[in-house]
Amino acid sequence: MSTATTTASLTERYIQAALSGLPPQQRADIERELRTSIADAIDARVEAGSDETTAEREALTELGDPARLAAGYADRPLYLIGPAIYLDYKRLLTTLLCTVVPLTGAVVAVVRTIEGRTVFDTIGGAIGVAFVTALHIAFWVTLLFAILERTRGVRRTPTRHWTPDLLPEPTSHRAGLGELIGETVVGGIFLTGILLTPVLPFAKDADGRVINVLSPWLWDTGAVYAYVVLTAAGFVFGFVRYYVRWSPVLAIGGALINLAAAGVLIWVATDGTLLNPAFAQAQAWPSTVSKWVDVGLLIAAVLSVVVTLTQVVFGFVTKSWSTPDLGSMIRTTAAGIAGATRR
Amino acid sequence: MLDSELHTMHLQELRRGTVVLACLLVLKEPNYGYALLDLLERSGFAVDANTLYPLLRRLERQGLLNSDWNTDEARPRKFYQASKAGIALADALCKDWNDLDSSLRTLKGES
Repeated sequence: MSTATTTASLTERYIQAALSGLPPQQRADIERELRTSIADAIDARVEAGSDETTAEREALTELGDPARLAAGYADRPLYLIGPAIYLDYKRLLTTLLCTVVPLTGAVVAVVRTIEGRTVFDTIGGAIGVAFVTALHIAFWVTLLFAILERTRGVRRTPTRHWTPDLLPEPTSHRAGLGELIGETVVGGIFLTGILLTPVLPFAKDADGRVINVLSPWLWDTGAVYAYVVLTAAGFVFGFVRYYVRWSPVLAIGGALINLAAAGVLIWVATDGTLLNPAFAQAQAWPSTVSKWVDVGLLIAAVLSVVVTLTQVVFGFVTKSWSTPDLGSMIRTTAAGIAGATRR
Repeated sequence: MLDSELHTMHLQELRRGTVVLACLLVLKEPNYGYALLDLLERSGFAVDANTLYPLLRRLERQGLLNSDWNTDEARPRKFYQASKAGIALADALCKDWNDLDSSLRTLKGES
């Protein structure tokens, strides 16, 4: 061989680097051929007038990253998840993130509230668990699909045959508006009812004065006004959603209104109380009733947070106001899992 | 004006599959890695070494090439030659190429 010892080490290092990425049974033959090819390339350059050091450098540079060469020999993809299964990967990941993450957060929030933790502790814990859950889902789903991509026989087969039947249903514009008006009317009656409770004569004390169903604490702290204003803003936003195209700012704004309203409910359930103790007494209800009403209120508020967050995530994914169709999501997930296991 | 970067990109797309055909045609006569690289380049089918070497082995696995180690010289060389299947594929691909060419002529209105 015409290669000098000082430069031979570069070729040697290159060959070792390329071989280390190859299955052992292929190594010997590829090493022999690669050694010859590199030596040939160096010789051709030396004959053309280069000195050996430069010739070797140039020859190896032209061969490029040894890891890339090894991937070519081993027929390995140079990507994590290829186009054949990428869409299935994305759908499964989105579905799991939109359903499991808010759910675990909500469960933690409810459990911590029942344990009597502070609001800060409850919300912080829920966000923390939701975040870790999201990380786990993203990691394991990605790992699963990366392995599928590298399993022979799985690759290059389109996983699910697409037919036009799989197109999402269009949301009917007219039906949407009717629903919206209906919701707003019922909501308006509900809010008016709340504001009128101090004068509704469900119970009276010994002097004949009306005992409010709802706790006076709500009026003292202004919680009731905050809730009414935020809920009304939510209904107004429903019309904005209907007439204005989706945009990130609007989506976040709308979500903040809903979250603030839910936040007021959480505040009421944890720091105050919904039922007027005097009213419960007048009705001769056991003292636990008031506590359970607050727990129910808290669960409703947390669910509202979950729904809002799910809608925001789904909105950002689809870039539209459309809300997730849980039924079709579950079907997609089931079909994806069935498809993955069948292969 | 012709955007040269865009042109290069599309030309690469167009030529991607032709390397296999050029290899099979050249390898009707036995040849080895580096010499083949050189020959293809001189014939106007410039291909990267790190594409060609793995490609030869892939074609061999597919039964389109046969290989034989020649140890007569100081430097042992792996010689590749198109198999019967390889020659048959080359002929079929050449016919496909000619069909494409005449289709393009029709499109250009030369018919």
